[in-house]
Amino acid sequence: MTALLTVKNLKFKRKVRKNWWQKAEKFVIGPINFELNAGETLAIIGDNGSGKSTLANLLAGVVTPSSGQLLLNGQKLRHRNLKQRSLNIRMIFQHSKESLNPALTVGTILDEPLKLNTNLDARERKEKISTTLRQVGLLREHAHFYRHMLSDGQRQRVVLARALILNPQVIVADEPFAALDPSVRSQMVNLLMRLQRELGLSYIFISHNLGIVRHISDRVLVLQNGKVIESGKTDVVFNWPKSDYMKKLLTAHQSLVLSKLLD
Amino acid sequence: MPLLDIKNLTLEIDTAGGRVKALDKVNLTIDESEIRALVGESGSGKSLIVKSIVGAINDSWTLTADRLNWKGSDLLAMSKEQRRKITKDDIAVIFQNPVSSLDPTASLGEQLEENIPDHLVGKGWFWQRQEKRKQIVSRQLHKVGIKNHELCLSSFPHQISDDVCQKFMIAMALVSEPKLLIADEPTMGMETTIKSQILKLLSRLNQNRNLSILFVSHDLLAISSMCHSMTVLYCGQTVESGRMTNLRKRPLHPYTKALLDSAPSFSKDLLPKSNLSALDGTIPTLQHLPIGCRLGPRCPRAQKECVKIPAPRHIHNHYYSCHFPLHRPLK
Ligand SMILES: Nc1ncnc2c1ncn2[C@@H]1O[C@H](COP(=O)(O)OP(=O)(O)OP(=O)(O)O)[C@@H](O)[C@H]1O
Ligand code: SF4
Ligand SMILES: [Mg+2]
Repeated sequence: MTALLTVKNLKFKRKVRKNWWQKAEKFVIGPINFELNAGETLAIIGDNGSGKSTLANLLAGVVTPSSGQLLLNGQKLRHRNLKQRSLNIRMIFQHSKESLNPALTVGTILDEPLKLNTNLDARERKEKISTTLRQVGLLREHAHFYRHMLSDGQRQRVVLARALILNPQVIVADEPFAALDPSVRSQMVNLLMRLQRELGLSYIFISHNLGIVRHISDRVLVLQNGKVIESGKTDVVFNWPKSDYMKKLLTAHQSLVLSKLLD
Repeated sequence: MPLLDIKNLTLEIDTAGGRVKALDKVNLTIDESEIRALVGESGSGKSLIVKSIVGAINDSWTLTADRLNWKGSDLLAMSKEQRRKITKDDIAVIFQNPVSSLDPTASLGEQLEENIPDHLVGKGWFWQRQEKRKQIVSRQLHKVGIKNHELCLSSFPHQISDDVCQKFMIAMALVSEPKLLIADEPTMGMETTIKSQILKLLSRLNQNRNLSILFVSHDLLAISSMCHSMTVLYCGQTVESGRMTNLRKRPLHPYTKALLDSAPSFSKDLLPKSNLSALDGTIPTLQHLPIGCRLGPRCPRAQKECVKIPAPRHIHNHYYSCHFPLHRPLK
């Protein structure tokens, strides 16, 4: 069986200058290799600046890799082939607040990708918008809402609806829960898992929250300074970490979880 | 006698939709050398409580309280001068987003030296005072675990990393040797390793210096790792408070339970990918607060009585405000 998404030797290089008097440092990501099957979740863990978000951008096609290949259902994805990619791999960004245009209604925001990428007529698009809104647990009336009329959790749902509306196969989510409150976050986690069961979606999921990573992912990829230092099944990596970094991370996490349980 | 004792604090503020009680009969105490967590979601009024404590609220708002006592003396009855002196000398506050609360145009050293109260520097010629300032500064940085202090002091805020910045903020806050440190979401958005460093630092300060800490956050992992006791806030009402261990083992209020359930790390026997238990709906806005218990529309146990505000009840030191708490079976 071919994997849904195959990443082979993906590399990305860029020179960054910290200050004008310092020599430019090379920022290199990769080589990165992994496979993602339909209905699976891959989590990416790493420090700030380890290249997690750049990797997400590479997968979503926002930045061009320097070398390497991305295969979707065994077919090569070229960077120019934006249409195919944007239909099949969709991205949810870190800050839902900034990523929704305040001057447009939710309906208009959701209509745009449909207009650009499909041949549906106005009535069909409207139909699609209300089914998608219901899929993410909103009401059809929310199509008439503007950004400021929505709560954080509802905004995040709109962002998810925008990603879902083109029936993608993979959703790349960069810290989708970071800005959400605990009681709303659980709803969102449940929603993502439900959509995965119902639609067979695959997720690539970037997060600091080890508790949630452990709960929802099938496999993890650990990045440090742009290199994959560890990867494998979630329960294996969490129970028998190999790299020092992952061990340290888990110890820090465990010490937070356990410390006050004992006394 | 508790260090800080707040009883029935109500704060009415003006919003686009008229006057509303942003804080409604809030109770909170902090004992000497205690770390107390103040937990609640965004908009629940945590920062408003902090502002009420330090007296930094808008003149047009109405604040009433049965008690707002600092070491037994009533903060509301004091003159502005007396109150300012207490908040300046005894209470220090650090905020989330450390970088943005520093002046970007001055070096860290300059900003820290400015914060040193005169009585710690003492009298003497200006070069002696200067020398003394330098000593205090390097001692402070040492205490919070910043090793390379020369470099740190000559840096500007944007040049240092988040964790050093937060440690630096803590150092600034501690210069005046306060009794109470209020930390408003000090580890928000930090990665696990750095977060645990900051939390260890706060715990150590608490143990070595008898520093009381009010730790404001909605990060349950951070809270339960270091706090002795916890007060849970929902939409401006205190719903439950007590010892950390009791609350975690046996929450009595439906909201506290939902909050604890939202951290999968706490539930040992949760199957991977199983649903987390979650409350329906979202947090109401200030303009659309439900009457009575504000959790009402989202609460799985709600009944007719819940349109009346539940009075606080307690089992020993464990306080809760709910008509149908979890330890009593529903009829
Ligand atoms: N200056 C203000 N004018 C009007 N409303 C305000 C003002 N400051 C706060 N509020 C409102 O009071 C409520 C409580 O705000 P507060 O800042 O205390 O929340 P919080 O619990 O600290 O949230 P967060 O976790 O997001 O920091 C919010 O609904 C907020 O919109
Ligand atoms: S008082 Fe009623 S609505 Fe409020 S938490 Fe208790 S049961 Fe739920
Ligand atoms: Mg706040």
